[in-house]
Amino acid sequence: MNITSQRVKLAKFQSTIALLLLCIFLSILSDKFLTVDNGWNVLRQISVNICISVGMTLVVLTAGIDLSVGSILAFSGAVAAGLLKSGISFPENDLFIGFTLLGTILAGVATGSFLGFFNGWVITKFKVPPFVATLAMLTVARGFTMLWTKGYPISSLGTNFAYIGTGWFLGIPILVWIAVVVVIAAMIISNKTALGRYIYAIGGNENAAKLSGINIDKVKIIVYTLAGALAAIGGIMVTSRLDSAQPNAGMSYELDAIAAVVIGGTSLSGGRGTIIGTVLGAIIIGVLNNGLVLLDVSPFWQQVVKGMVILLAVMIDKANSKAE
Amino acid sequence: MKKLILALVLFASLTSCKKSDKAEEPKKIAIVVSTLNNPWFVFLAETAAKKAKELGYESKIFDSQNNTALESDHFENAISSGYDAILFNPTDAAGSVANATKAKAAGIPVFCMDREINSTDAATSQILSDSYSACVQLGKLFVDTLGKKGNYVELLGIVSDNNTWNRSKGFHSSVDNYPGLKMVAQQSADFDRNKAMEVMESILQAHPDIDGVFCGNDAMAMGAYQALVAANKADKVKVFGFDGAEDAINSIKEGKLTATAMQFPKIIAETAATYADEYFKGKKDFPKKLPIAVEVVTKENIDKYIAYGKK
Repeated sequence: MNITSQRVKLAKFQSTIALLLLCIFLSILSDKFLTVDNGWNVLRQISVNICISVGMTLVVLTAGIDLSVGSILAFSGAVAAGLLKSGISFPENDLFIGFTLLGTILAGVATGSFLGFFNGWVITKFKVPPFVATLAMLTVARGFTMLWTKGYPISSLGTNFAYIGTGWFLGIPILVWIAVVVVIAAMIISNKTALGRYIYAIGGNENAAKLSGINIDKVKIIVYTLAGALAAIGGIMVTSRLDSAQPNAGMSYELDAIAAVVIGGTSLSGGRGTIIGTVLGAIIIGVLNNGLVLLDVSPFWQQVVKGMVILLAVMIDKANSKAE
Repeated sequence: MKKLILALVLFASLTSCKKSDKAEEPKKIAIVVSTLNNPWFVFLAETAAKKAKELGYESKIFDSQNNTALESDHFENAISSGYDAILFNPTDAAGSVANATKAKAAGIPVFCMDREINSTDAATSQILSDSYSACVQLGKLFVDTLGKKGNYVELLGIVSDNNTWNRSKGFHSSVDNYPGLKMVAQQSADFDRNKAMEVMESILQAHPDIDGVFCGNDAMAMGAYQALVAANKADKVKVFGFDGAEDAINSIKEGKLTATAMQFPKIIAETAATYADEYFKGKKDFPKKLPIAVEVVTKENIDKYIAYGKK
């Protein structure tokens, strides 16, 4: 076995190795890091970013980008919360007509899916670059959120709704369950289905994919719709966890998602990357956020450190892909 | 060419038409607010707009998105489109001075709301809410509530925002006199409820034994409280917020949060609009600075208050 093939092998596990090193480093510096409670904390905190990042990975694999996920998250969460609080009451008959919990959640996810679909439609039918189309959606969906909430949080959503964000099922937080289901579904789509193969093919070489008969527009629209739906699921999760839909929820979440995708080794030029890599990327960011607070690092330095980690990850990735 | 001339003539006639109408039109007030991403400022801006309407003026809200450069654009637009007064919630005490000066040079009075600018003559009047001294009071209550000893956590707002530091400094000027009170962690949660919850969850791992949390606004106090509930520590730990937002008022009523500082955005905004009205009617002599007192709200006096004001 020569050195180059060893390096390629190593590159495959680079995120895992980085995560392990980070964990070892943090456990040495703080005896509070490697505890069960803290583990659940980190997993709960990253569950939302995992959902968004998985959608982002699919988009980035087609050589696109979705900057609107944070705003879609806020709007979908606000729609669900708003519908949960609204309804018509008939006091004389002791009757109240409103949305059920499931109804509000579906409405929230439908909202996000539609906005995602709209992104895909604009990108494919009008050839608007994804960066521009989703940048516009970032602003529009944030504006919708402000209009819908009038700028005030929608709070006190009831214990049933809050259960999603705070409850446990079979010893695991519901939020983590949701993330696990999303990740497994996305892994099946990307590895086992025709859609998955098309996504990689489009990102690898769009012209070749077109010539081989793939309906590029359809695949892209599906991918952006999925990204919107996953952002909406993230919105339901955040809203439920806080028992409140905040008008400024999800601010700059798109950047966290892109960071997770990039740290996970997915190429921003498309065609190369994995869902599991993104999950590791999201865990690295979550562990870093948690560790920096545990060590009581000043908030000024935290920003510097996070930026450096992203840069380092991409630099190593580039060096490895050259070796490949 | 004929078409162009025709268009120009048409345009000129339209514009002159508008000018001659202007004398009969109501005066216009621009409300330039630092951000609308925080309910407190939404309330401030909307109250100012409502009051201006009551007084018979047209008004428009401009959102500076915490960006002094964007604020500068808003000022230029407001000046060139003929606004007669600006009710101004500045983004930055130093950086916003130039904007106010620009308006003054154009003969448009500026009335600052809530936040100060570092100039004694750029603004016609400044109606200010004193975050610093409010946090001095809140700090004193914090000391008494914790019995002058114990471990506490401070959650800061956005670290580039000067309100964050005014509040923090006011708080520490009271609390730091008591060596028995030890700050075990000071972290930023960006004035955000979700971030506060996450940061607090992590802090509780490192420092499970704390007695109090001081937060730079109510949204962070709510987030910190939720993290404490999840860790079964909510009964033991006293949480302090700042703003007087609806969620916080309800939570103090239910005994969840310990205290917040009530600012009075309604009074601030209505005073600013009234000043503009008086200015139009000829009054030129206003107090350069009008401090609006901030009151500490606890379970004892909660019945006097509603969200963002008194009952």
